[in-house]
Amino acid sequence: MLSRGVKRKLEDDEEIMAAETSGAFDSSSSLPYPQQRQLVLNMCLSKLQSCHMKVEPSLHRSVLLANTLRQIQEEMRQEGGESTLAAIYDGSSCTYNGGNPPATPAHNPELHSLLLESPVYPNNSSVTDNTMSSSVSAILREAGFVEDVNPAPACLGCSDSEELCFSSSPSYENDGDEQPVDSRSSDSLFGSFEISNSTSYLTDLALDDIFEDIDTSMYDSSDFSTVMSFPVPRSPVSSSEDTMKSFPTCISPSSNGIQICITDLNDLDHIMEILVGS
Amino acid sequence: GAGNAGVGGGNDFQWCFSQVKGAIDEDVAEADIISTVEFNYSGDLLATGDKGGRVVIFQREQEGNNRSHSRGEYNVYSTFQSHEPEFDYLKSLEIEEKINKIRWLPQQNAAHFLLSTNDKTIKLWKISERDKRAEGYNLKDENGRLRDPFRITSLRVPVLKPMDLMVEASPRRIFANAHTYHINSISVNSDHETYLSADDLRINLWHLEITDRSFNIVDIKPANMEELTEVITAAECHPNQCNVFVYSSSKGTIRLCDMRASALCDRHSKFFEEPEDPSSRSFFSEIISSISDVKFSHSGRYMMTRDYLSVKVWDLNMESRPVETYQVHEYLRSKLCSLYENDCIFDKFECCWNGSDNAIMTGSYNNFFRMFDRNTRRDITLEASRESSKPRAILKPRKVCTGGKRKKDEISVDSLDFNKKILHTAWHPKENIIAVAATNNLYIFQDKIN
Repeated sequence: MLSRGVKRKLEDDEEIMAAETSGAFDSSSSLPYPQQRQLVLNMCLSKLQSCHMKVEPSLHRSVLLANTLRQIQEEMRQEGGESTLAAIYDGSSCTYNGGNPPATPAHNPELHSLLLESPVYPNNSSVTDNTMSSSVSAILREAGFVEDVNPAPACLGCSDSEELCFSSSPSYENDGDEQPVDSRSSDSLFGSFEISNSTSYLTDLALDDIFEDIDTSMYDSSDFSTVMSFPVPRSPVSSSEDTMKSFPTCISPSSNGIQICITDLNDLDHIMEILVGS
Repeated sequence: GAGNAGVGGGNDFQWCFSQVKGAIDEDVAEADIISTVEFNYSGDLLATGDKGGRVVIFQREQEGNNRSHSRGEYNVYSTFQSHEPEFDYLKSLEIEEKINKIRWLPQQNAAHFLLSTNDKTIKLWKISERDKRAEGYNLKDENGRLRDPFRITSLRVPVLKPMDLMVEASPRRIFANAHTYHINSISVNSDHETYLSADDLRINLWHLEITDRSFNIVDIKPANMEELTEVITAAECHPNQCNVFVYSSSKGTIRLCDMRASALCDRHSKFFEEPEDPSSRSFFSEIISSISDVKFSHSGRYMMTRDYLSVKVWDLNMESRPVETYQVHEYLRSKLCSLYENDCIFDKFECCWNGSDNAIMTGSYNNFFRMFDRNTRRDITLEASRESSKPRAILKPRKVCTGGKRKKDEISVDSLDFNKKILHTAWHPKENIIAVAATNNLYIFQDKIN
């Protein structure tokens, strides 16, 4: 009665457990502090990278990892930025006494490309703060920090429909493309997710303003044969945007209809002659 | 020797094995892993939720019914599928069906109500009994088919006939689409009309009757997500002040908020944080300070928080530091790097009070769980294992050897099984009965009958 299809086995990581008995610097650290820190940094990076993207990664975990990463980054920066960038992915120099060595960034081509800002070479001593923070930004994005669209959550009545989430897609970290990262592009990347900007453009702009600059002086009211006025369409977001699930934007109809004038037949003939070229 | 005397009761107090529920075999199906345990207000019902989205409710047998020594055993009362796995097409990610929390509503009539939640959706379930059915309808025959009205020549009154007890669970409300991030807590308010739900960045207040909207009362999402450094980890309503609630954070802080102060409670009324001890600072200080659970005492005077290595009791009138700190497994402090590497450092342990607020309980690794007596300051470590599962067997206290020569019956830190973690425990609201979830097994322990 309780069985629900295929049983999924609990992951067997006993070998990792067995290897844990003597961690790298667990008791009375034999490793010098910089190497301890390097080890933690390597693990932090590999954890942020290796989110199993079948289920949404835990934001709590990602935040804790990112904070640890920042803390180490800050510490390294204060000690002097000379070999900082080299230290970040020089994982191979750090010995690991117990267990499976974590994947070092040097072995991870995607991360390697992320950390390299074009063109920064491993031994380049001129590491800027921008490089570091953009690397961290890239990693945070990789960790799948979720973006949701609704910028004003404290509004009653919008619980149902509008929350839209974007996160870096799984293919983002799996394709081998070099993703050049700099802080400008990361801002614009997040900026592009702010769909609410574009919808507010549609709602805020009064429709009359669009037609303000059209010169209607030709069409004097006395010459009109027929005048048609259309009420402003009341429809909310168009069908092409229905995947957004935003809560219905109510475009308040403008009080003035748009008056479209039809020229008299003579003018129409004249125009036709020009068009036909006769 | 003193043994386990004194914790949770008088000096003659001892914990005994009572029951264990769940499969015995070594191969654990992931769907069977218990993810939440909760007694109802009377303690007669005990609910568990698992990773497969199922809820199993146990009911305590009336004493004196069967054998005199059964003393109120818990047997299965109802089982139902609360949540199903879903798929978020926009993000191409699964939404887990795992039940994160169950909270009972106070009983108001014959039926029982509980709230259960997964990462995204909260559901209100009604569990009701049916032990009678009506027979002798006028318009329907026994099979339920409508009778031809022209053939009805006389009227009769339907009679209620007894039937085998049937317990039905039906979803009465579904509270969906209000959380972008993963729900970690739900808490029923003392007004019994509203409840709060908390995810990583926001807390919403719901009315139990209204499913299509909720108030957002806390929002800590920064304008730029890259500036995010802190998340909400747990939240709870005050047990008797319906305007007060608390929420804890991943930085080890607790904020107490008053809903009368403003609609959006981003500014707290009280802020609880213990200053960090600089001598114990490490790379992992922040991670282990993250609070995994917060629980008010039944009196409402205190609250208890659980971080990775300790349990702290706070007086609501003192924000500067906790009034009591209990070390759960301090011997793990030197192993933090390994625990970080195998992700155990991110495990979220819960904690609970006993009915009279003089004892607290929390879980640890190797299927150990710990209890602390606040009055006597005694503590005890017990194990939930099949080996010590003989009926009414007294539980033997366990001890972890931290260094030096290992005594007999002690276990060394390196031999601990970190796969066997006790994250969820519950204490009966009135009696000395505890429920301990060990992976896919539910253990029930009671005090010894003299």
